[in-house]
Amino acid sequence: MSDVRNNRREAGGSSVITANRLLDGRIVWQVAEGDWSPMIKDARIIPNAEIEAAIAQAAARQQADGLVGVYGVQIESDEAAPTPVTVRERIRAFGPTVHPDFTPAAELEAHA
Amino acid sequence: MPDTIPAPALPVGHYGYDQVDRAFLADRVEQFRDQVARRIAGTLSEDEFKPLRLMNGLYLQLHAYMLRVAIPYGVLDSRQMRELAHIARTYDRDYGHFTTRQNLQFNWIRLEDTPDILARLADVDMHAIQTSGNCIRNVTCDQFAGAAQDELVDPRVHAEILRQWSTLHPEFTFLPRKFKIAISGSPNDRVAARFHDIGLVAKPAPDGGTQFDVFVGGGMGRTPIVGVHLRDDLPEEDLLAYLEAMVRVYNEYGRRDNIYKARIKILVQALGTEGYRQKVDAEFASMNRARYRLPPETVAAIRARFGTPDLNAPDDAAAQFDRARRADPAFDRWVRTNTHPHRAPGYISAVISLKPAGGIPGDATSAQMDTVADLADRYAFGEIRVTHMQNLVLGHVRQDELHALWQALRAADLASANIGLIGDIIACPGLDYCALANARSIPIAQKLGARFASPELQETIGPIEIKISGCINACGHHHAGHIGILGVDKKGEEFFQLTLGGSPGSDASVGQILGPALPEDATVDAIARLVDAYLVHRTGGERFLDTYRRLGAALFKDAVYATA
Repeated sequence: MSDVRNNRREAGGSSVITANRLLDGRIVWQVAEGDWSPMIKDARIIPNAEIEAAIAQAAARQQADGLVGVYGVQIESDEAAPTPVTVRERIRAFGPTVHPDFTPAAELEAHA
Repeated sequence: MPDTIPAPALPVGHYGYDQVDRAFLADRVEQFRDQVARRIAGTLSEDEFKPLRLMNGLYLQLHAYMLRVAIPYGVLDSRQMRELAHIARTYDRDYGHFTTRQNLQFNWIRLEDTPDILARLADVDMHAIQTSGNCIRNVTCDQFAGAAQDELVDPRVHAEILRQWSTLHPEFTFLPRKFKIAISGSPNDRVAARFHDIGLVAKPAPDGGTQFDVFVGGGMGRTPIVGVHLRDDLPEEDLLAYLEAMVRVYNEYGRRDNIYKARIKILVQALGTEGYRQKVDAEFASMNRARYRLPPETVAAIRARFGTPDLNAPDDAAAQFDRARRADPAFDRWVRTNTHPHRAPGYISAVISLKPAGGIPGDATSAQMDTVADLADRYAFGEIRVTHMQNLVLGHVRQDELHALWQALRAADLASANIGLIGDIIACPGLDYCALANARSIPIAQKLGARFASPELQETIGPIEIKISGCINACGHHHAGHIGILGVDKKGEEFFQLTLGGSPGSDASVGQILGPALPEDATVDAIARLVDAYLVHRTGGERFLDTYRRLGAALFKDAVYATA
């Protein structure tokens, strides 16, 4: 995605990689190369010094992985679980704030 | 309850498709099915596919694909509403969202389902064509068209003519930016005509025909501008030729180098009203007018494809209505806010609020959509209108049947008595759904709706329009709100900027920024203080907007920021 907001990163800190699934548009987070999860808690945490290369690698195989719009998301440095620094990415990670049933966690529970 | 009104052969309120229309739509669905298959197979890249899906109304939003379905001039029939409910239930999450452009959006659509959804839409003469892209979008219309007591000309036939003219128009498929047209036939502007790229107001011509007031270059977004009055005497027969000339001039001279300066409003401001008018007149003079002429026979042929309601209320309809109002105060309150005078004796238009206290403006569940379809069949000739305020309207209801309709609406949680009041908030989807948004709109609307939930309090406050946008693109029309709320991003966190004094109507004005943006958790309290200040300082029957215009911003600024 070319949205400038997706490329705001501090020199220090860490990020995770995200994308939308091609078939249903749903948000996923990279767990490992070729492995993606709807839950940000599963995401691989990457130092910002290495994130651009990791994004490029993931973007190169996005069609094969059934993804679209690969980019990196900076996370808070002082949280136990990966938590994006911006409210936009927190909503992407944890779902719309106005429909508790539509959050990734609720969906996971519903399908458990 | 009375029996269902027999459905006319043609749909009441909108154009009835013929086989040519249906064959075209069927071909278009199969074309898109092939495009989706090629995208999934990887033979189309996302960059190649994106403009194709957008031209079919399919966006990739924050959490999923969003499909925007066109509702031409905001009019649906019950069969179409039931199909929307079916799609919501089967392919989405059991609800749909009615928008400020009188369309409907599904927020949780799967790409691979989209061709089947479009096929289902085509089965009921609907589509999603030109609900995105730099083309002429859905033409919006007065929600009381063909019913309102104050209407001079029913504008829906002309809206349909504009729909046919603009659909897949080869010259206007790649304009500098999107292009929005609104049309009304009432001197009381209910379509925000002055905030559209082109706003048209139909009225009787001296020769007994129809002519149009033409506004151009209005808009919201980053540069809010009230449109200029270009003509007051455009003859019906020149409607298409003149609009063709207007859009051609924009297509030729509109800026393509800067997306933020690409709308026609920027061109009109740059050329000046006279400069733009001269170019349009020159283009108009050079055109083959015979080719573009809109003859009365064509207008009549389009009109003949509209079903007509058989308005035939009993003589005592008004008396029965009065008795019901006197006997039931809650019904009477709803009638005061949620109805509009009808041109025909014994009839009235009913507005169905999609703004329950604490709810999401514009959302309707599948069950509610089915209920509205059933009620439209029983009470309103199967016709339903969508308003740009994100509500629904049953245009032709017998006054003696209104109480029964209200009771049915109440049972479906569709009888909020708040139209035009503080609970009748416009809100865009905001950051909860929209990829462009900077801040959430819906939670602010929900908190305000809950804060001012009391119908008594809302009536005491009186007419006031709050409009919320989650970004400067202004889909929530905040510039035209008596109180406008704009969500902004400050270093990744949400703040909300207030504007006061906007109006979308015949007295159109752009709201002025009150002061620094407020944190999310301070915004609702600030608006409550602002409303309190109005209640203290208003005189007589002043609306909030009147008090603001009389006294200016200072006292409201004090109220908002004194304790902030």
